[in-house]
Amino acid sequence: MIEILQWSTLATCGLIAAARVPSAIRGENRSLFYIFGLMTVAILLSIEAPYAAIDQALGGINLANLLLRFIIFAAIYFVGIRITRGFGADGAHRLITGRAGMAVLLGISLVMTALFFMMDTSGSAAGLTGVVGTDPWNSALLEYYGAAGRAFPAYVTLVLLPAMVRAVLSRLPVLVRLAAGFLGLGAVATGLTLTFPLIPPVLGSVEFIINYTAVLCFVVGLALIWAARVRNGKLISRKKTSTGK
Amino acid sequence: MTLPAKAFQRWLHDIAPEASTADVCRISGIKRTTLAQQLVRGKVSVSTVVSVSRGYHVNPLAALATFETYRDLGGPQTPPTRCELVSQISTADLLRAVLARPALDASETSRMTASPLSAPPHATSVKNWVDAIDDGEVRHRVSATTGVAPQNYSAQLTANRLSPELALATAQAAGVGPAGGLVATGLITEEEAGWPPGARQAALDSLSDGDLTALAGDRLQALGKVLRRQEQDQAQTEKIWENLG
Repeated sequence: MIEILQWSTLATCGLIAAARVPSAIRGENRSLFYIFGLMTVAILLSIEAPYAAIDQALGGINLANLLLRFIIFAAIYFVGIRITRGFGADGAHRLITGRAGMAVLLGISLVMTALFFMMDTSGSAAGLTGVVGTDPWNSALLEYYGAAGRAFPAYVTLVLLPAMVRAVLSRLPVLVRLAAGFLGLGAVATGLTLTFPLIPPVLGSVEFIINYTAVLCFVVGLALIWAARVRNGKLISRKKTSTGK
Repeated sequence: MTLPAKAFQRWLHDIAPEASTADVCRISGIKRTTLAQQLVRGKVSVSTVVSVSRGYHVNPLAALATFETYRDLGGPQTPPTRCELVSQISTADLLRAVLARPALDASETSRMTASPLSAPPHATSVKNWVDAIDDGEVRHRVSATTGVAPQNYSAQLTANRLSPELALATAQAAGVGPAGGLVATGLITEEEAGWPPGARQAALDSLSDGDLTALAGDRLQALGKVLRRQEQDQAQTEKIWENLG
């Protein structure tokens, strides 16, 4: 079940990234291509087999996990900028790119990096499952490290949530409102990741489902907006040709 | 919105005893699948009845009156009020009429010649009709008698739609002839509703220069609001596409 979710998310994301290559070459919204590319790499790094391969190349001390966290931060940051600009949420835009957002990003990054190097992280394992249980000090550090990694995405997406709710209730085209709904759902799921420490280990699969729901919602939401634009472009060109006759 | 299929079959048997479903569809121009689906579901739409009665040269109003819900349509016909008649003149026609009045444009050369009024419904005919017969309390009375929430009722008016039941309930609440709303929604023509030919033109001619100009001003203002809102929505959508498409 989780395997299927992982690989299908990777496939969705990879396909969309690949589909955006032509428009990226034309120079249309290149940052969106980077977002999808970063997300694809992030998903790749969260799957066991590719993770182990990449981490071995990086020295086998789980440096790939730290890299993964920063890739997620970058993707989320760009997503935040794009969405707030697009939906005209100036307040949210300032909260992400302004002093507050920078402080949050810098603080979390420093704490996360420090925690990583304080841990004994030898032995490649996706999600750092290998370091748990070796000793209580390490597992406590891991808990905080994980929380730090989830904090920035949760911050950005919760800042986005009000604008998404407004967009869903607005009179925008249906596809755009649907997309805003997906983005809002993704924001809620990302916000929920903050509650992971409260989820008992038995329900570990819930964490996976929430994680991948968040990623899928964001990817599908962004793709829908793109689809709405393509569809609109077709409508306009059809109108033009019909009046041109 | 719909009529029971059984009652429809009985009525159909009365007006076309020998006709098969295929005949009925061919004569009335309804798609066979549409009618079949409505019969299977047991709910026949009012517009189907109107199309079929037109096909068999039966007055749609009289046809509808044979159904329980629409019995009010069968009574002695109340002539439309002047307000109702004027409300069914399109804004463009009203503006032409304003320009044709000598009081507004004294120079004979630029004066427009009156052209025949375009048939209802026009772009805002439903809302204009309700506004014309509203004594300030009609909307409340309609939602009280039908149980339709006021905001849903307003949403229909804004979209220039009104279900036949609501159109009837509105006419009843305002104390005007029952067919007016059906004309405003375009379900039946003014001729089918028994409005005398030229009644709208006569009502228009009977308006004083002041009344006509004020009315045209109101219409223009309302139109301006709608257009401005559409432009804002469009600008917002384009911004989203520019950033996220």
